[in-house]
Amino acid sequence: MTDRYVQQVVGAGHRRLGESDMGTSLRNGGVLLGGLLLMVPACAGVRHSVNEGNGLRSWDLTDGDIEIELIQRLPDQTRALFLKYAFSREVIEQLAQSCMFQTIIRNTGRSGSGQAVAVDLTRWRMRHAGTTRGILLKEPLLASWSDADASPAAKLVVRWGMFPTQQTFLPGDYNWGLTAYGVPPGAAFDLEVTWSEDDRPRSASIGGLVCAPDVDRLK
Amino acid sequence: MTSCPSVRVFVLLWCLSVAAAHAGQLLTPVPGGVVAPDFALEDSDGRSYRLSDYRGKTVLINFWTTWCPPCREELPAMNRAWRSLAGDDVVFLAINVGEDEDTIFVFTADYPVDFPLLMDHAGEVIARWPVKGLPTTFIVAPDGTIAYRAIGGRAWDEPALLDLIRGLGQ
Repeated sequence: MTDRYVQQVVGAGHRRLGESDMGTSLRNGGVLLGGLLLMVPACAGVRHSVNEGNGLRSWDLTDGDIEIELIQRLPDQTRALFLKYAFSREVIEQLAQSCMFQTIIRNTGRSGSGQAVAVDLTRWRMRHAGTTRGILLKEPLLASWSDADASPAAKLVVRWGMFPTQQTFLPGDYNWGLTAYGVPPGAAFDLEVTWSEDDRPRSASIGGLVCAPDVDRLK
Repeated sequence: MTSCPSVRVFVLLWCLSVAAAHAGQLLTPVPGGVVAPDFALEDSDGRSYRLSDYRGKTVLINFWTTWCPPCREELPAMNRAWRSLAGDDVVFLAINVGEDEDTIFVFTADYPVDFPLLMDHAGEVIARWPVKGLPTTFIVAPDGTIAYRAIGGRAWDEPALLDLIRGLGQ
């Protein structure tokens, strides 16, 4: 798949621990500090690509035994997916405007150790407009909708279409799903991703993520 | 780097260990003899399938949807695997989660599948299986316990994987 992309290395071997923007993050979320300082140093690489066919951008982090790929998703793609199901117009627009990324997480097994990789999205942090917070998760979204907002069948699409909040991957396992960040189309943000390898906490930063623009902004 | 023999040996050993790990990545063994949750579901033609009716056979259970990219990607290989295992008393049941007959019918025009595609309209069956994301596939041994699982797609027609499935019935 990657050969269809124009590839540009933007962060090979780079980590942001200790940099000034991390300092901002820690001031905003002091609890994060202790956890991050304990994390195992890692050799992280973030590859940024642009799909020549559709112009969508992707960010691909490879670190230890994990690979995390985030691919922009146009708000119209999200509308198209959910319009097939019994969601209210308000909910479809809420989802479309929530900055969704197609997300692929894989245990590459690169180390050969056979270790498990566990991901807990409740621990991921995003920095946007000077604040640090968690990403949108499917459980509160589902709980916020009445049956008029989303039928039970429609809720199944969100239940299985959005990335699992917690998941463990053994070598060779991978999953696809949507992650959502709750910032407007076109907005930029940094993402601190965390995971564990055989219960050892790890983290890395993906800087300069950009939500796909809405149709009225497409050139 | 290649001028240093010890480094060359290390690189060789590392490559061998990665290759060995890759061989083990085909499917993940499920220990403990967990009994596969029984279900009864219909396909789009109204035929009913009950898992417990296949006791004594190896059964592949695949949870999928039409809008899941890796589900679509693995189905052709899964169909080839089904054909390869036709004489081995192995049953394939693919369980669609939450979609209707029309959607599945249109989908199979582009992705022909010869084994049964069952419909879990309300997501009641998948809720009783240890599934976090789609696709997830389980191999149920002839004794009714879950022997292996795969999170994400696989190249199901790989000979090593076919041998693994065949081996359960022997």
